[in-house]
Amino acid sequence: MTALAIAPDADDVVAFTLDGRPVRFAAHPETVLADLLREEAGITATKIGCRVGRCGACTVLVDGVAVNGCLVPAHRLEGATVVTPDGLDALPVAAVVRAALTEGNAFQCGYCAPGIVTTVVALLTADRDPDEAAVRAALAGHICRCTGYGSIVRAVLDAAARLKEARP
Amino acid sequence: MRPEPPRPPSKPRSLAEAAPLAAEGARPVAGGTALQVEWAGGGRRPDRLVDLSRIADEGFRSVEAGRIGAGVTLAAAGRAADLPAMLRAAIGDVAGPNVRALATIAGNVMGRTGCLIPPLLALGAELEFIGAEGTRRIALEAWLAKPAGDEILAAIHLPELPAGAVAVHRKIGLRRAFSPSVIGVAAVLVPGPDGRIAMARAASGGGPNPPGRLAGTEAALAGADPAAIDWRALRDLAFAEIIAVSDVHRTARYRRTAAANALVALLGGPAGLDALAPVRTPPSRAPRREPPPAGEIAVSRAAMAADWHVRPDMADKVAGRFPYHTDARSPEMLVGRILRAGVPHARIRSIDTRAAEALPGVAAVVTAADVPGLNAYGIVVQDQPALCGDKVRYVGDAVAAVAAVDAATAARALDLIAVDYEPLPVVSDPVAALAPDAPPVHEGGNLRRDMTLERGDVDSAFARCAHVVEAVYTTPRQMHAFMETEGGWVMPEPDGTLTVRVGAQYGRRDQIQLGRILDRPPESIRVVSGPTGGAFGGKDELTVQPALCLLALKAGRPVRLQLDRSESVAAGWKSMPFTIRMRTGCDAAGRILAQELDVVADCGAYASLSPGVLETALEHLAGPYVIPNIRSRGRLAYTNNGCCGAFRGFGANQMTFAVESQVDRLAALCGLDPVAMRRLNLRAPGDLGFLGQVVAPSERLREVLTAAAASDLWTHPRGITDDGSAVVGVGMALNYQGNGIGSIFDDPITVRLALGADGAIEAHYDLVEMGQGLVSVVQASVAAALGCARSDVRPVLGDTALVPDGGSTSASRGSVAVHLGAKAAGPALKAALIEAAAAVLGRPVERLTVGPGGIRDIGANACDEPVIAFSALAAALGDDRPASSHGRQFPKTHWPEANARFFFCFGATIARVSVDRATGAVTVLDVNLHTAAGPVIDAAGYVGQIEGGIVQALGFTLLEHAAIEDGRPAVRNFDGYMVPMAPDAPGSIRVFALPDLDEGDEFGPRGVGELGMGAVTPALSAAIADATGVWPSAAPFRPEDILAALGGLPAEAAP
Repeated sequence: MTALAIAPDADDVVAFTLDGRPVRFAAHPETVLADLLREEAGITATKIGCRVGRCGACTVLVDGVAVNGCLVPAHRLEGATVVTPDGLDALPVAAVVRAALTEGNAFQCGYCAPGIVTTVVALLTADRDPDEAAVRAALAGHICRCTGYGSIVRAVLDAAARLKEARP
Repeated sequence: MRPEPPRPPSKPRSLAEAAPLAAEGARPVAGGTALQVEWAGGGRRPDRLVDLSRIADEGFRSVEAGRIGAGVTLAAAGRAADLPAMLRAAIGDVAGPNVRALATIAGNVMGRTGCLIPPLLALGAELEFIGAEGTRRIALEAWLAKPAGDEILAAIHLPELPAGAVAVHRKIGLRRAFSPSVIGVAAVLVPGPDGRIAMARAASGGGPNPPGRLAGTEAALAGADPAAIDWRALRDLAFAEIIAVSDVHRTARYRRTAAANALVALLGGPAGLDALAPVRTPPSRAPRREPPPAGEIAVSRAAMAADWHVRPDMADKVAGRFPYHTDARSPEMLVGRILRAGVPHARIRSIDTRAAEALPGVAAVVTAADVPGLNAYGIVVQDQPALCGDKVRYVGDAVAAVAAVDAATAARALDLIAVDYEPLPVVSDPVAALAPDAPPVHEGGNLRRDMTLERGDVDSAFARCAHVVEAVYTTPRQMHAFMETEGGWVMPEPDGTLTVRVGAQYGRRDQIQLGRILDRPPESIRVVSGPTGGAFGGKDELTVQPALCLLALKAGRPVRLQLDRSESVAAGWKSMPFTIRMRTGCDAAGRILAQELDVVADCGAYASLSPGVLETALEHLAGPYVIPNIRSRGRLAYTNNGCCGAFRGFGANQMTFAVESQVDRLAALCGLDPVAMRRLNLRAPGDLGFLGQVVAPSERLREVLTAAAASDLWTHPRGITDDGSAVVGVGMALNYQGNGIGSIFDDPITVRLALGADGAIEAHYDLVEMGQGLVSVVQASVAAALGCARSDVRPVLGDTALVPDGGSTSASRGSVAVHLGAKAAGPALKAALIEAAAAVLGRPVERLTVGPGGIRDIGANACDEPVIAFSALAAALGDDRPASSHGRQFPKTHWPEANARFFFCFGATIARVSVDRATGAVTVLDVNLHTAAGPVIDAAGYVGQIEGGIVQALGFTLLEHAAIEDGRPAVRNFDGYMVPMAPDAPGSIRVFALPDLDEGDEFGPRGVGELGMGAVTPALSAAIADATGVWPSAAPFRPEDILAALGGLPAEAAP
């Protein structure tokens, strides 16, 4: 499936907050957020791996919740707050998550990384002390074909430990 | 025709406002998560949608005891303490967490196939609808019995569960999480005052299976004494009344069996399962424990903290800043699309592109008529058209391509291209393809390759055997499933050069192939083949480059193109399915005397590397064993089943599955443990290779076998689990895999090391970083050769403009090439750097050496600053900076008769699995891999390659198969093709290494890119046999077969 055509009439303007900035896009209402980000907003950190919500590469935060950007149509975005992998630094746990995932060499080809980092930031914002099973469960929905997930899970647990240490 | 963009959805504010819209035929949409899957699968978008996201009715988005608003997301419902725990657990089994945040409980129910319907039926749910005539409530069961209406669901009501009620559910999936439902089952039992069951509700369904109550089962349970239930009779009753369907993944019989068994396991526990089939765990075949081999180390961050280095590209990848070719965007760039055949086998009568060309916004349309050179490519033989002109041979064949101002225009233009096909008979079975009267996929027939070998006196050797095993091993059409689908961009440069930036594995060969197609000198095409977002062999052959180049040349502008996943599934390369019939015999003591095998491999529509894959498989037909009498035949058949070629392991792992399983079966027949049997038949270090060739030193087969015997996994619990739900087994297999391209091919290594203008030590290699961690290997190898720090080294990879042909990034050859290149080119650069620094500083050469950060005094302490930093040296030298180049052949054996490997990697894979007694589903608990591949250059890369390979092989063994039925793909995307997710990965993976080399072995580290994947399948088969007594031989292993081995099938369902 391709992005549906952009129909730039006034009815189809959607306004929302993107990575802390107010934005307005003229887009067909069923253009999905992932396409809007990559093709209109120039945010290529968001990847598209399947378009059916089954790989997690396009994961973004909509109103603080990690969701698949390929499943959210533009018409649902009016007034929403969207945080992409580019805007995660505004979240308090992001720096620790990134440091732990980097130092743990969590990824290989890295194509799944922005989506997974986004889910992990959401996970550790909500739950600072997940066990390994909880981490694996939170990652269900993300496909990483390179690592076998071990390096990612270990790095997420490392990030959780660092967060706990920083603010017990 | 692609429909015009549909009307925007209506957005009512209340259910009362929404109801008439639905009554007029508009489709209600709540979370909308199912729609995207439906559309991507080719479903038609309804003309009108009613978006329910603005509904503001009270209670529409809230949960209270006994009532769930229809707009409640699955995530919210799963957290609602007011709901029965059984329902919340069932919700947790739907999709993944991020989809549950969008999807609603209403969507799950209203689709009529949702996994939550059986639990809701068991709970006695009622649906509250709002229609044109107002509100009504109807039992879920009654609603399911009627055709779909046009009302809007407002809420789901649940009767209160009486005290003491038991509510259970189980969803059986294709994998452990985020899986389509194979089938689900749920039940609620209410106890009476006399201890008997006063009321029972049971239901099954979900996925493709129609949901429904199980009336007979309920009747049998009602009034029963829970302690006196005849569980076998109950299972048979449930089996008889559960309705299920067969599809490409599972048979109806399996679904009914698994659901009925699961119901018994839920209600009857271990006693219930015992009544179905008592567990007869075969006696342990664990080897005698031995001490581990000397020098073995654990490879992990914890064990090798001092050797743990962060990859130079890791921070950018984690931040989302890493520049993939498919991320390039610029205003002048056009967007390309490829028109695929869509039919598996047909002659092309005509192609009419006029309407597409006339569409505003279309810059170029290309067909076979636009191919200036040879309209054919292929690494071994050129049998694949760049764009098909006269015939298509699989659904993904490229027929035309367009470049337009945006994706939507390109998509519309594709729809305007009219291709008239004359259908041809579909060749879908590789054996039938070889029949003399089979329709030819290519002129010249369907037999692409036929290889035979006979050694010794096979028939008389078999006559002397005390034990003979024969089995047929089949392997899947595995999809590489790299996360970055095929794509990139091509730029016609002002100087006439064509720059091709597409993630690939061997830019130089792409350059040659594109030169032939485009009728241009290869040097006029610059190929930048990396970085690549995963490849695994699937980008070794050309992918989108021919179409992209033709478009860019015709349009005279840069064009980008990236396949959607569904297009990649249909068109992309896959691994080659093998059918291996193997017969192996040994004497009473266990010495293997003879082996006979017949291999038929499904080449698909085009040869690509498949002849090499077959040849490599046959080179491994004896594994690491001495088998004196051998007869083999291998045939490669063209079919219309997609296109197959290289995949990590390159045929060796398919053959290893067969050989190792045969050896394991013979061991059991001889009464030998798996280690003793293998030790008895193992080749000795220094023996010639299978084909008679000299092989590299540092063989470590005996040592990895000792490591296998030392493994603690044999001492972990096996047999029936404490909770009685599963049976655990342990098994092993040996890894023995040839590395490198082989003896008969040109196999160059090239390198150029230079001091860059900014002072970085630039290491140019004609190899590609595709995730495997070559960048770390380059840093480590060059730093070691020069004496500088890893961080001083800047890898510059995968660009034909920089260094001469350096071979393919495949066959686990990258690390060897990098290491040998650095070792050869390093000393000259080191000397030149020192000499240059001596001149700049006016100090004697003898006093200087290369160190971290720059040139150091030989007497300096490690903490001292360099006497001159590399950056200062580079600045002082201007354009006259030192460099050193080297070129050589990859180490090869002299064996011109056939393609023979020189390097082999060694390993022992030990796996511990748990087999579910109700469903036959396999969970991999532990995998240990004892490797021997020379020094560990980079600990993170080493463990990453092994772990990733193990999980990819787990997918091959248990989950993955891109089924094709009558030439048409039966799976379209990741909703039907099951790549392992985090919960599917083994509970623990431990990686060990024997890093030492024989004295005088100058070849250094070997590659481990394929080692992790190599022997997982036979190890898992052996572990399952340890639990069940039967070695699965058809991969991906069917739970149905495993359940049969456990005796878990009802009598009437037994095969």
